[in-house]
Amino acid sequence: QLRYRPVLTQDPPLEGQTTASTFVLDQPRCVFEGYGNAVIWLVVALEQATSTFNNTAGPGTAETAFQDFPDPVRAYMTLNATLGSYPCPKPAGDITVLRVGSETSCTRDATRPTCNGPLPGPGPYKVKFLALEGSVPVAETAWSVPIALRTAKPPSKISTSNGHSADMIAITTILSILFAILLAGLVAMLFFWGSDCGGSSTFSKPESVTVRRYNTHHVYDQPAARL
Amino acid sequence: MAKSDDCVHILQGLLVFGNVVIGMCGIALTAECIYFVSNPHGLYPLLEATENSDIYAAAWIGIFVGLALFALSILGIIGVIKASRTLLLVYIILMLITFAFEMASCITAATHQDSLTPGFFLKQMLERYQKSEPANNSDSEVTKTWDELMLQNHCCGVLGPSDWQEYTSAFRLTHSDADYPWPRTCCVLDTRGLPVNLDGCKLGVPGYYNSNGCYDAISGQTSTHAWGVAWFGFAILCWAFCVLLGTMFYWSGIEY
Repeated sequence: QLRYRPVLTQDPPLEGQTTASTFVLDQPRCVFEGYGNAVIWLVVALEQATSTFNNTAGPGTAETAFQDFPDPVRAYMTLNATLGSYPCPKPAGDITVLRVGSETSCTRDATRPTCNGPLPGPGPYKVKFLALEGSVPVAETAWSVPIALRTAKPPSKISTSNGHSADMIAITTILSILFAILLAGLVAMLFFWGSDCGGSSTFSKPESVTVRRYNTHHVYDQPAARL
Repeated sequence: MAKSDDCVHILQGLLVFGNVVIGMCGIALTAECIYFVSNPHGLYPLLEATENSDIYAAAWIGIFVGLALFALSILGIIGVIKASRTLLLVYIILMLITFAFEMASCITAATHQDSLTPGFFLKQMLERYQKSEPANNSDSEVTKTWDELMLQNHCCGVLGPSDWQEYTSAFRLTHSDADYPWPRTCCVLDTRGLPVNLDGCKLGVPGYYNSNGCYDAISGQTSTHAWGVAWFGFAILCWAFCVLLGTMFYWSGIEY
C-alpha cells in the first residue's frame, strides 16, 4: 500500500478537468519506483464499491469489464502502462495527464474489456492505481477522494429577461414628459385662440395696417350721420 | 416698440435657426437609418431567428421621421418668416405627430437593446447550433453565423466553453461529450482549419483552445447600432421640444 492518492490535475488549470463523462488525473510519476516489472492499472470504481473491490480480480475479465460498468460491474480496470511510461522525475513543462474516458470507439466492444470509455454517469467515482506482476498485485495507491462529474441542465432553465436598463427608463420618462408638456402647450394654445390673452405682447405682422381700424369707424359712421 | 421689435426679430431668428438644425438632423437621421437598414451587421441571422428584429422596425420609422422632419422644418421656416398663424398651427400639429413616432422609435430601439441579454443568445445557441434536422433555413444560418463569429473573434460559446458543459444542447445530441466537450471551432486552428493540437483542445489546455466567450463581441456590435438610433433620436427630440415651445410662444403672440 503506497501513500500516494490519485488527484485530478490542478496544474496547468484545465478547462476540461471534469466534463460530463471524462475527467483528468495526474500521472503517477515517481510513485511506483522499484516496481519495474509490474504493469500499472487504473481502477475506477463507484464510490460505494471501493470497500468491496478485490485486488486479485484480474483485468480484462468479466468482473472488471468496462462494457458492463456500472451494473453489474461496480469497478473496472483500464489504462494499463509499465513504469517506463511514467519516467521519474517529470520533465518540467511537460503536461503529464491521464484522461479517463477518452476512448469512444470501444464503448460497446465486448472484445475490449479494458476500454478507457466515457463514464456513463455523473458518479461520484473513486480511483486508485494498482501494480500487478503477472496476476499478483504487488502495490496499490490509496483511493482518491470522490470525483463527481458535471451534470448538464436543460437550456429551458436559462432566464432571458434582464429587466430594463437605466438608459431605457430615462429615455422613456423624459420623452413622455416632454411630449406631455407639448400636448399641454398645444391645448393651451387652441383654448386661448379666441381670447385676446396675449394682448400686451402682441406684435404686428410685417404688412399689417392698423389704419384699417380707423377706417372702419369712419366709413360706417359717416353715412349714418349723413342719413 | 423698438425693443419689442428686436425681441420679435430675435425670436424669429432663433426659431429659423432651430428649424434649420432640425432639418439637417432629419437628413442625418434618414441617412443613418438607411445605412443601418441596408447594411445589417453580421449578427442579423441570430436576431431574425428569434423574431427579435425590432431594431429594424425602429430604423424604418427613423427613415420616414427624418424625411418628415426635413419637410416640416422648411414649413416651419416659411411660417415663422411670414408669421402666418395657420401655417404655424399646421406645423405644430404635424411636428407633434412626428415627435410621437420618433419617440416610439427611440423607445423601441432602447427596449430591444435591453432584450439582448447573454441568456438570450445562450439559449438560442444551445437550441439551434448544429441542430441535426434544421427545421428551416434559419437554423443553418444560426450555425453558420456562430461558426464565423467564433472563428473571427477567437471566442467560444457565449460566456465560455463551459456553456457546452453546463447545459444540454442540440450539439450535444449529435456529438459525444468525450470527443467534443465543445465544438471544434473553439480550438485554436492552423491555416488549414484543423486544430493545432486536438488533444490539447479537448483537455482544455490554455493556448490550444479559445477560453473567452463571444458575448463581448456580440454586444459591441448590436449596441452601437441600437444606441445610434435611440440616443440620436432622443437628442433630436429634445431640440425639437425647445423649438416647438418657442414656436407655440411665437404663435400665441402673432396678431390675427
